[in-house]
Amino acid sequence: DRLQWPQISKCRSPEMETFSCFWTAGNFYNLTVPRILQLLYKKSNEEDWKECPDYITSGQNSCYFNASYTSVWTPYCVQLASKNEVYDKKCFSVDEIVLPDPPVHLNWTLLNTSQTGIHGDIQVRWDPPPTADVRKGWITLEYELQYKEVNETKWKELKPRLSTMVPLYSLKTARDYEIRIRSRQRTSEKFGEFSEILYVSFSQIVIGCDHCTEEVEFPWFLVVVFGVCGLAVTMISIMLSKQPRLKMLLFPPVPVPKIKGIDPDLLKKGKLDEVNSILACHDNYKTQLYSDDLWVEFIELDIEDPDEKNRASDTDRLLSEDHLKSHSSLGVKDDDSGRASCCEPDIPETDFSASDTCDATSDSDPFKKATEKEEDLLCLDRQDNDESLPSLANTDLQRQHRNTQSENSHLWAPFGDSSESPRPSVHTQISNQNSLASTDFYAQVSDITPAGRVVLSPGQKSKLGRAQREACTEQNFTMDNTYFCEADVKKCIAVTSQEENEPHGQEQGYNEDGYFTTESLTTTVANLGASTAAPPSSEMPVADYTSIHIVQSPQGLVLNATALPVPDKEFNVSCGYVSTDQLNKIMP
Amino acid sequence: GLLLAALLVSHMLLTKEGVTSMPICPNGSVNCQLSLEELFDRAVKLSHYIHFLSSEMFNEFDERYAQGRGFIAKAVNSCHTASLTTPEDKEQAQQIHHEDLLNLILGVLRSWNDPLIHLASEVQRIKEAPETILWKAAEIEEQNKRLLEGMEKIVGRVHSGEVENEIYTPWDGLPSLQLADEDSRLFAFYNLLHCLRRDSHKIDNYLKVLKCRLIHDNNC
Repeated sequence: DRLQWPQISKCRSPEMETFSCFWTAGNFYNLTVPRILQLLYKKSNEEDWKECPDYITSGQNSCYFNASYTSVWTPYCVQLASKNEVYDKKCFSVDEIVLPDPPVHLNWTLLNTSQTGIHGDIQVRWDPPPTADVRKGWITLEYELQYKEVNETKWKELKPRLSTMVPLYSLKTARDYEIRIRSRQRTSEKFGEFSEILYVSFSQIVIGCDHCTEEVEFPWFLVVVFGVCGLAVTMISIMLSKQPRLKMLLFPPVPVPKIKGIDPDLLKKGKLDEVNSILACHDNYKTQLYSDDLWVEFIELDIEDPDEKNRASDTDRLLSEDHLKSHSSLGVKDDDSGRASCCEPDIPETDFSASDTCDATSDSDPFKKATEKEEDLLCLDRQDNDESLPSLANTDLQRQHRNTQSENSHLWAPFGDSSESPRPSVHTQISNQNSLASTDFYAQVSDITPAGRVVLSPGQKSKLGRAQREACTEQNFTMDNTYFCEADVKKCIAVTSQEENEPHGQEQGYNEDGYFTTESLTTTVANLGASTAAPPSSEMPVADYTSIHIVQSPQGLVLNATALPVPDKEFNVSCGYVSTDQLNKIMP
Repeated sequence: GLLLAALLVSHMLLTKEGVTSMPICPNGSVNCQLSLEELFDRAVKLSHYIHFLSSEMFNEFDERYAQGRGFIAKAVNSCHTASLTTPEDKEQAQQIHHEDLLNLILGVLRSWNDPLIHLASEVQRIKEAPETILWKAAEIEEQNKRLLEGMEKIVGRVHSGEVENEIYTPWDGLPSLQLADEDSRLFAFYNLLHCLRRDSHKIDNYLKVLKCRLIHDNNC
């Protein structure tokens, strides 16, 4: 046998008023002279070891400290020693060693039984251990109940609770149960001993049915298996079925990325000009959208585009000059883009390549001047640079040659037609020459160079003019709006200038950028030399914004003539495309 | 997904026996003043929660840092609040006047204000301190403040005479929490947490005794 030293097995306080320590003697007794073990104790603030006051009350090999010797939150040390040797030592404080006695007076009462009489509910009650002074609040106990059927081995546990009664539901009346309870101090971890076992038997109270001793257990397994199979079959059949609505209901499609205001069909069909025009109006898209890589993709898309004109123009641009790359790749073909950004497209086709755009300037030196303006991205910052205009006109002409001639002739012609019809209303839009910011105008971005500069295209004016020539004369510009349909203006005004420019090629007033400032319009009209130019009438008060008459997203808006209260300047006037958010701000 | 997460979090919080939010004004009270019973109920809940957290924090710290260092043997220490003479057994707790006991409780709570603040900050400097310990330290500090406020309210209600001198013991253990030697530093933490557990148990017990005595007339 191994030699076992005497040890202190545990120290315990049942109610936080007294405590006892227990030890084991080991097997010294047999080997040597019976030693007399002593338990010595010391409080933390004392120096001398004192002997145990009571060896008897707690039984053999124990020491009992009654209430007068017990201080609860004071550290104690006890040691097991004989005359010479110290065998074991323990230090603790009484609040740490609380293990309550078991509850007493367990009993149960029947609450109710099920209709078939197979199951029943009972309520179990008990009293707290008598030693624990719960009534004065000196100790707070919580109880844990365990129960099981008589012939089972594993106890079922309930969560510890403070109350001294607990219901047990759904016990089988045909079986007998055993219940036991133990308690612990509320913030401790260790439980005290279990109480005596309480036997629960229904036979005396409930007349159980003899034939229902063996109840049928619910065939959970079968239910689950068949349920899963059925569900799988249903799902498969739904997926395979041709019913789109049902499919949508049960398997909704994952939403694809979507940009507000852009019809995904546009992207599919390769109508990048409109997409770009819309995107250009969103600040974050301005420069990021264009890069050399994108250009490559765009090129490919263009090839696939069934629209010949697009292709032709792109190809032309590609082949003719290096910087042409910038134009075509980006796919910001003006064409109707101006229209798309602003008004309802009167001309359905968007195939016209942007013959003349701000990008034209990029090709030439004069463009460098214009590059400054280009930084505004929409050529908004066009100064009234006479010098640049001629150069623009030059390049514009060059570009015209590059483009399909017929197209150009179409483009130019309408301008000429409408030049005869002065639009005095245009003059009302005269604003300071130098501050474009105060002018209300918008233009179509036809292209964006790889450098990130935006080139505006005047193309639509020609196209618009062409298609709308008839309607032009009838158009009544209500110039109290600062916004008016670009299409309308372009077709009427630009056509005017366009025609003039063609023969001269140096028309200053000609705004090749596909957009026009009020001054350019004015000069355009004025330069025509026709009697068209009417002196600017007195400026009429103009509203900064107008309400939308028709929204044809993503192709543009048709604005109402009614004046609206001027909203904040944050309105991106230059864009010409009013986003719905901005509109919501201004619309009452 | 969000709903499920919210449900889980709320379940966790509720089963933690934490302090749930209680209505400020019970229905029907005109002045919106809580009854003394309500104040005591809340105080007891708070003190129980603080003791529960202290216990757990001590156990975690013990498990993680104190094993094998022999801290237990040395833990017969004195806490900085030992100078406050508090009832040490049931008899003394029964005999002390409730106003004195309330003042003592306030004194212990005030004396722990400072150490808890430093505990919460210094425990973060322990190498690889578990998140649970850090969180508990911060939580105990906050709840202690709330309990202090609540106790001051109770004292205001219960106290008949003038307010006595404030009972308070200063704490000078901060340097020991900042020692360079890791063993010494951890031992200082161990002692502090041990004292915290003990004192929070004291407070909890005293409050329960007072509650049963004043509210339920010794018949809880």
